[in-house]
Amino acid sequence: MMSRVEAKKPSSCESEPLTSERVRVTLSVLKGVVTSCYGPAGRLKQLHNGRGGSVRTTSQSAALLAGLPVSHPVLKMLAASVQNHVSCFSDCGLFTTILCCNLVENVQRIGLPPTTVIKLNKHLLSLCTSYLTSEACGCRIPVDFSCTQILLCLVRSILTSKPACMLTRKEIDHVSTLILRVFLLTIPENTKDRIILGKSVIIPLKGQRVTDSTVLPGILIEIPEVQLMKILPIKKSDSFKVALFCASLSGDLSDTGEGTLVVSYGVSLENAVLDQLLNLGRQLVSDHVDLVMCQKVIHPSLKQFLRTHGVTAIDRVGVALMEPLSKATGTQPIGSLASISPSSYGSVKDLGTAKFGSKHFFHLIPNEATVCSLLLCSRNDTAWDELKLTSQTALHALQLTIREPCVLLGGGCTETHLAAYIRHKTRSEPESILQDSSCTQTELQLITEAFCGALESVAGSLEHDGGEMLTDGTYGHFWSAQADSSSVVNWPDLLSRCGCGLHSCRGELGLSFLRSPRPPFSPLTCLPPQEAAGAANNLTLDCFTAKLSGLQVAVETANLILDLSYVIEDKN
Amino acid sequence: MAAACSLKAALQVAKVLETIMSCCVGPEGRQVMCTKPTGEVLLSRDGGRLLKALHLEHPLARMMVACVSSHLRKTGDGAKTFIIFLCHLLRGLHAITDKEKDFFFSENIQTHGNHWKNCCQWKFISQALLTFQTRVLDYVVDHYLSRHFLSIFSSSTKERRLCRNSLEMLLEAYFGGRVGRNNHKFISQLTCDYFFKGMACESAFEEVFELVDDCYVELKVGVTGLPVSESRIVAGLVLHRDFSVYCPADGDVRIVIVTETLQPLFSTSGSEFILNSEAQFQTSQFWITERTKAIMKHLQSQDVKLLLSSVKQPDLVIYYAGLNGISVVECLSSEEVSLIQKIIGLAPFVLPQASSQHEVSSTALVKFCKPLILRSKRYVHLGLISTCSFVPHCIVLCGPVQGLVEQHSDALHGAFKMLRQLFKDLDLNYMTQASDQNCTSGPLIYKNSGESNQLPEIVNGSIQRPYQGTVVKNKDELAKSQTYLKVYSNLVVPNIELETHTPCSTLEVTPTDETLRCLSPNEAMIIDDHEPLIENNSANSATKNTGIDIYYENLQVTKIAGKGGMLPVRCTSLEMSTSPSYCFSSIPAGCVLPVGGSFEILLHYYLLNYAKNCQQSEEAMVSMIIANALLGIPQSLYKSKKGNYRFPQIYVRALRALQTNQPIISSQTGLESVAGKYQLLSSVLQCLTKILTLDLVISIKRQPREISDQDSEEEL
Repeated sequence: MMSRVEAKKPSSCESEPLTSERVRVTLSVLKGVVTSCYGPAGRLKQLHNGRGGSVRTTSQSAALLAGLPVSHPVLKMLAASVQNHVSCFSDCGLFTTILCCNLVENVQRIGLPPTTVIKLNKHLLSLCTSYLTSEACGCRIPVDFSCTQILLCLVRSILTSKPACMLTRKEIDHVSTLILRVFLLTIPENTKDRIILGKSVIIPLKGQRVTDSTVLPGILIEIPEVQLMKILPIKKSDSFKVALFCASLSGDLSDTGEGTLVVSYGVSLENAVLDQLLNLGRQLVSDHVDLVMCQKVIHPSLKQFLRTHGVTAIDRVGVALMEPLSKATGTQPIGSLASISPSSYGSVKDLGTAKFGSKHFFHLIPNEATVCSLLLCSRNDTAWDELKLTSQTALHALQLTIREPCVLLGGGCTETHLAAYIRHKTRSEPESILQDSSCTQTELQLITEAFCGALESVAGSLEHDGGEMLTDGTYGHFWSAQADSSSVVNWPDLLSRCGCGLHSCRGELGLSFLRSPRPPFSPLTCLPPQEAAGAANNLTLDCFTAKLSGLQVAVETANLILDLSYVIEDKN
Repeated sequence: MAAACSLKAALQVAKVLETIMSCCVGPEGRQVMCTKPTGEVLLSRDGGRLLKALHLEHPLARMMVACVSSHLRKTGDGAKTFIIFLCHLLRGLHAITDKEKDFFFSENIQTHGNHWKNCCQWKFISQALLTFQTRVLDYVVDHYLSRHFLSIFSSSTKERRLCRNSLEMLLEAYFGGRVGRNNHKFISQLTCDYFFKGMACESAFEEVFELVDDCYVELKVGVTGLPVSESRIVAGLVLHRDFSVYCPADGDVRIVIVTETLQPLFSTSGSEFILNSEAQFQTSQFWITERTKAIMKHLQSQDVKLLLSSVKQPDLVIYYAGLNGISVVECLSSEEVSLIQKIIGLAPFVLPQASSQHEVSSTALVKFCKPLILRSKRYVHLGLISTCSFVPHCIVLCGPVQGLVEQHSDALHGAFKMLRQLFKDLDLNYMTQASDQNCTSGPLIYKNSGESNQLPEIVNGSIQRPYQGTVVKNKDELAKSQTYLKVYSNLVVPNIELETHTPCSTLEVTPTDETLRCLSPNEAMIIDDHEPLIENNSANSATKNTGIDIYYENLQVTKIAGKGGMLPVRCTSLEMSTSPSYCFSSIPAGCVLPVGGSFEILLHYYLLNYAKNCQQSEEAMVSMIIANALLGIPQSLYKSKKGNYRFPQIYVRALRALQTNQPIISSQTGLESVAGKYQLLSSVLQCLTKILTLDLVISIKRQPREISDQDSEEEL
């Protein structure tokens, strides 16, 4: 026996990992990287491996964390946690990372025992979540689906916050409208008790202007120009009968079992199978099918046969398009070559060919299905990748909004407002927390300060150009001013609107610097109706579900990291 | 290379391990992060897992880890306490050998080298430890500790019924040592809910635990990226895959399970299919299609709406299933299939040989079957209608990272193991002296060839006067022996085996079983005059293998069990509650004590008392060492507490309460298994004995060859 048994190397064991210099430095480096990406003014990061290969310019957490080589296990866990969040909710990855890093850093500075910290953090988090989900929440706006204004603001905020898409203001408006249109097209008209959203397919069209992007109902199937020539001119009709095959029509012999198949000399299985295929073709023709599509390959003879009988055949559709196709046409994918039940045929309203840029497409327009295609154009590859990811994020955010019909104020205002609320709450009624967690009032104040400070520095991360960051003492919103304005005494002259754009600056707001100590106050929760209506055109908004979950994940992950007493690294 | 294996070395190793273990022990313990060589990151507070992850090199450390893992295999809990206790024992021994170098039998050792002298000394200690366990520990546990035991079962009813409150407390204490501080309450609540939702009736909990423990992997779903608080219990079974075809169906859904492809193939393995013409090929294909169609039609005609398949089905089957409105789930694992079969008691569907339209016998109904979407992944959700005591429920465990989800999942699985252990009785080696208040005759021990056998008689749950051992001398006394047997007929005699006729005129009865059940007298009494041997198979085979041989003339009833003459008598919790004065030398199922070192402090107190009254200095010494080492566990549990909750305060309060016979008030709510603690103690003592009996560690280049029996047979 040539078994190779090697003794395992002993693992390395590191106690109190957070106190080590190595972890502290790497954590602050990661924080620096993500913080500088945050928001519309965020700086871009270029990911490349230095040996050729693709270059990715991005400021999104999904692309960034997937590309960053993270060495220390603590950071690995943080990155994994954010990536898992992003794969669930698409949005708010950077927010989660920054908040988590800030929390860990702030709490470390205080030096309280982790037991107390973790318990209190959990209490503060539950204060946050119960406030955000309550009706009285002052940083939440209900969404009315009969009016698209707020939804459009949400999409626009998401697009604006991703500078690596390289979009101008006009382009952002154009793409936001398209994305909202896609979303509305996927909502079925006749809904019963449950909404089952349709499908949208994003089709790349690189090298075109962003403003050339468009939305088409139905499905576009890209086909080479040569093949397009072969497609017959489509006759006019109200409806076209469609057959969709998932079984291969190439004439290969399917599974024959585990035993052996002995073929006598002179017997040609190819001919036999081909006969079968042509029989199938005859049946399709006699059933008056107008369009045959196949996930796999169609035998050239069958294709020829179908063409001579006026049936359009498209093969190699691919598994990704099967579900949208079956949905759009109402067909059932056919797995049989012998007999086809008439009930598996579907239909489309219209067929056509289209040319966008240098690409040719076959266009299926369904009767009333909820499937549409978004042709997304961009000048170069890397910007297109970013734009696609952003569009998916925006679409996902819209879908999440259906489930929870409200949005949160963006632009840092939710964070500062929440911080003000938590400060006020722990100052005014600390009894419930103190009772449950057996800690002192001072400890609670210290942790509250660390928690709120972490939240506020997330808002502060939006400012990258050295401007002043302020918060008001009435609503607890976030304000930022130009860099060279510190000498100006009269803030209202300088500031026009707060971060989310809901409030304009008036004298009585009680502005103060974000990082300066302020007396706790109860932030006003009611939204001024006339102002909300007037400002609704350009509000900055965040997806509610994504941000709430991001907040929870950030605090839970920070708690996990703070709770670590040992790191055992397996060196094998 | 050889290294002296001294107590000092062992202590050093144990100290290092203790520092790691003590940081994550108890409700205040913290998390440890482990990375796998594959780069995965795991969070853990599971002592066994951490010890394994360390990949220790030191031979003594490896031995300790091996001891811990063998203990964990038995009980599934207590790895951290194991190390802490072992370390304190070694400390105690070290202190003593330092102080009184010649305490143990120093007069016997005069000329050996110092090292060898120590080794001998340790060998004596290790022997003393072994005798301690059998003679002192079990005695103390049985005589003194047992009066403090609480039961997890509610005492009001006759049959064993789980008390929800106690179970909650037990689980909370367990998870307090296993998962993060913020989540242990939530997870223990979830587990408790799971049990009570999963039980069809409260008396059949043991079956449920067994099934859940065995099929745990199939019953949980891990979801990453969501906060822990999203974890929940879903009714029904969640299969870890998506539908191949989904046809929505309302109301009850009829299902079949298949284990082979429904489409006939050209040839099966080992056979040959000879194609002679193209037409033959086409007709065969046509036949295959028609046959598949017919099978699916047939299923549809039987109102089957869902097909569960353990293999991948061809496109054709999927297509016809879709046409006939039958949903299909493919590629189920064999574990999933067997779990479904266990729950609904459904046999796999066998293809009818001819296309005769007889009914499909093996179908079952499910309440619903629908897709379940968890974090954009689709699962199949089945509302199985259970035919056994387990009502199917699944646990969805959420967490921000995989490492945390796995920690919770492992902890849950460990909890099932721990509970299964708890519901078993545990034997003590100590021999009880059964006595009843009504019975003054005292313990009656039947002596035969130096063996002592306990003869308990329990009729209708109360203890009768023990039977004086009788020697059946001749045939005339057969009647007497029959009456004797009648007295015993209420004891379980599971297997009456046949053995060779031995001219022995003694009667030896040593019945032992967990639950004493009634066996009808006429079954036990079939004794033929001329056929000397009777086999009785009617007894329940679920009980332990106990053989009783009955002979004509020479009646011998022997129990063949490996414990010689020392056979414990056990009493179920039912007897415990009805006759508290009765002594039993077992820890009955479901015995618990409050957490927070109650077991350790109690045992410490009673061991010290025992040591005071003990004549033998050696035994007293060992008892003292163990009693003091026991305190190490509560010490490390309370090390971060403040004020009145520090260890010395707690200890003093407990001692005072014990001296004045008052109940001890525990500062923590929660319960732990006594049997688990007892087993831990004996495992540690065994480990210590192993360490002490070693004197030299020799490192060799090659692995020692295993001497197997097969080789020797070949040589012969």
